[in-house]
Amino acid sequence: MDEKPVLTVNVVTPDGSVYENTTDLVICTTTVGQVGIMPNRLPLLASLAIDKIRVKTGEDTFDEVAVSGGFIEFSNNVLSVVASAAERKEEIDTSRAERARKRAEARIAKAKENHDDNELKRAEVSLRRAINRLSVSKK
Amino acid sequence: MPASLQEVKRRIVSTKKTGQITSAMQMVSTAKLSQIQKHSVSYQVYASKIRSVITHLAQSHLLDSTSVSETGKDQAGKLNTLGMLKQRPVKKTGIVVVTSDRGLVGSYNSNVIKQTLDLIKENGHTKDDVVIIAVGGTGAEFFSKRGYNVAYEFRGVKDVPTFREVRPIVEAIVTMYSNGLYDQLFVCYNHFVNTLTSIFRAEKMLPITAENMGDDDLTALDEDQKYHIEYETEPSRDAILEVILPQYAESLVYGAILDAKTSEHASSSTAMKSASDNAKDIISALELQYNRARQSAITTEITEITGAQAALD
Repeated sequence: MDEKPVLTVNVVTPDGSVYENTTDLVICTTTVGQVGIMPNRLPLLASLAIDKIRVKTGEDTFDEVAVSGGFIEFSNNVLSVVASAAERKEEIDTSRAERARKRAEARIAKAKENHDDNELKRAEVSLRRAINRLSVSKK
Repeated sequence: MPASLQEVKRRIVSTKKTGQITSAMQMVSTAKLSQIQKHSVSYQVYASKIRSVITHLAQSHLLDSTSVSETGKDQAGKLNTLGMLKQRPVKKTGIVVVTSDRGLVGSYNSNVIKQTLDLIKENGHTKDDVVIIAVGGTGAEFFSKRGYNVAYEFRGVKDVPTFREVRPIVEAIVTMYSNGLYDQLFVCYNHFVNTLTSIFRAEKMLPITAENMGDDDLTALDEDQKYHIEYETEPSRDAILEVILPQYAESLVYGAILDAKTSEHASSSTAMKSASDNAKDIISALELQYNRARQSAITTEITEITGAQAALD
């Protein structure tokens, strides 16, 4: 059989490797927009947005991993996703994420009331994380 | 001497019970130790990844900034955005002291606290320009009792801390640095060498400089990446550094806590092992004493009986 070039994806967090697979396409969202990464690409370093990473597993099927920021590093056909937190679709605790969303919304409302910019920014980040988790788990 | 016989017997029973407890505690600590060691291995993967990327970026960044310094102005603005690389004049020093929450860990806590005090003295700091961040109850109590400024204390670190649990501390530490509460940060903890030894370590973690990225890492990196990979970066290098640096600082602090916890389990296991050994020694000494006392009681009885017999005859 003709060998198709593949790349290895590895999602690492401080608590260990969360996801590892080989594929021929990974789509991730960086802070400036989406990139699709295919084998034999130029080495790349990019910072990630709080979003999901989609790893192609079949014709039209994708594995999804929710990441909370971090960065990706691609070289020698190995894509390392280094994030402080990452969860696979199956691992996401929906009720927890839902609670986190409500909490973050409350914090935002409070921060707006007190005009606390720092707190507002932080709360917005946690809200994005929660929404991201929820959106990955729902599909 | 029946009273003493009774007494010795009671002591044997109680020592045996204590020995059972300590040996159970030893087993628990050993189990936790192997658990956390497994966890550390997976953390190492993350840490080495982030370190190699950051060294790569920082090297080129440092080169950039030196070349810019000739042209002057630009540099100040540029370095300001990368607050973690910036050396500020040191007015206050933050010290993270990692201790355990409970006792029964041998000399673990006293070791950390003593050497931290030495460090404070050595660097000529006083109570006023040191900010203590205490992870673990023992350290928190020690320093607040002695009138140090304890800015943050965290108790109840899990036996095998995951990043998610530790995140609030780690984030607080990094935020306090960016807010200028202190201008440099040391992390003091016991580094785990093996089950029997752990050594005290004080690492300067912030600001991030070329030195504290670790020389050994740089050389290791050189060996496996002799051909320097030229990365395409998105967005700019500096923008990426800005994202990665806090993440790096967080991971360093987490690594220190993980290391300290490992050494805590190790020293707790060693302390409990020596306690069980002592219990065994005491039991065997007591048993000897018990048998002697029993023997002499029997001898006295026999002498009494034979004496009485002789009197009757």
